[in-house]
Amino acid sequence: MKHNKTWNRLQLVGLALAAAAALYVPAASAHHSFGKFEMMKLTTLHGTVRDWKWANPHSWLTVAVVKADGSTEDWALVGSSPNMMARWGWNATDIHVGDIVSVDVHAGHDGEHIGAIKNVFLPGGKVLVDPAGSNGEGLAGAGPTTPPSKPEGELYK
Amino acid sequence: MSRSHILMTAQCAWIALAISTSACAADKPVAPQTPQQLKQAWRAIAALPDFWQGTWQSIGAISDDFPVPPDYTPGALEQIRNFKPTEDSPFANCTPLGLPFAQSIGGMPMKFFQSPGLIALYIESSGMTRFIHTDARAHSNPPNPSYLGESIGHWEGDTLVVDTTGFVDGTLFQIGRDRRALLQGDPNPMAGVIFGKHGPDMHLVERMRLLDFKTMEIQTTIHDSTVFNKPYTLPARKFLRGIERRNEPQEWACTDNRDYLDPETGKLELNVKSKAQSR
Repeated sequence: MKHNKTWNRLQLVGLALAAAAALYVPAASAHHSFGKFEMMKLTTLHGTVRDWKWANPHSWLTVAVVKADGSTEDWALVGSSPNMMARWGWNATDIHVGDIVSVDVHAGHDGEHIGAIKNVFLPGGKVLVDPAGSNGEGLAGAGPTTPPSKPEGELYK
Repeated sequence: MSRSHILMTAQCAWIALAISTSACAADKPVAPQTPQQLKQAWRAIAALPDFWQGTWQSIGAISDDFPVPPDYTPGALEQIRNFKPTEDSPFANCTPLGLPFAQSIGGMPMKFFQSPGLIALYIESSGMTRFIHTDARAHSNPPNPSYLGESIGHWEGDTLVVDTTGFVDGTLFQIGRDRRALLQGDPNPMAGVIFGKHGPDMHLVERMRLLDFKTMEIQTTIHDSTVFNKPYTLPARKFLRGIERRNEPQEWACTDNRDYLDPETGKLELNVKSKAQSR
């Protein structure tokens, strides 16, 4: 009974803010949440592709980044489902081990060398945008957004 | 039981027209076989609302809202009290989902197919297919448990009404929502979601209809006396039709999962191939 009351009270508040809730835009479905990443910030990694796996539930891109002090870090970068990426113009053969790439990512919160892919700038000039964050209307209707011409994040050194 | 019987009576009428009067007896195949029967069966299909072209993309939030407070059973209230949010949904471990969550999660489209007596609904984001029997059968007694359940459908005018039961114990089932998280502006689409256990006899009744060529609406009512004192109807969900080539269905297989959600601690680890489970 106590809980019923709690829910009713929550519901009243809910109704009062229904308009705000309507503005709530869900991120496109993802296999996992993006709570591990700095979703409000973009970091640009520049490095060499070590590994590229096109598979569900998520594609993974490993990039070796040489830092200003000469040390090398391997960054494991997660993309959306390949199914979604294919609909956004990606092809499994777009990325090769050894490619020099720039990647805009939402880096991990906790200093781990992980990131969620936003844009990939390929050696030939092609730019791939990850559909993560697109809503259902975009996925079914409007389609891919226009890719940026150059990296948008803060360069990681 | 009575629901199934009504359903049978309604549906046997048109099946009987196409095939034979004994078609509705238990386990008698009703597949049309003569050219005449085939013509009639496919003509009947052609007259149905067009669920079939293109694919359908969920355009709502991943999780369900419960804007009307459900009338919970004491058992459900205890589940809610004891629920501990985890860093992610159990889907992180690549386990199959349940309904209606599997359809709501979206990101990838769904596709309807039909042949006489059967509608199939491929759900790409799980790589799984629902089989909705429209041959006026009754539910198995009892159905063998499965993630997507045993579905029996019939048409009420332009609405496909689907009754599904026989879910395995462990389907991902949203029992409610703590709306405080939404109100605090938490951008996580799973914010405040409360997962729980459904009862062994849960029935979902979905009403699927077209609002226009581009839009489908599915309204789901949960019948589960172990959770809700009276059936609870979730807010209707909308799905957008995509007819472009990029919206065609694709294979989805969870073969390279690198995420692991520890069921004990609720912590999510990423890029841990050694622990992650694929299927």
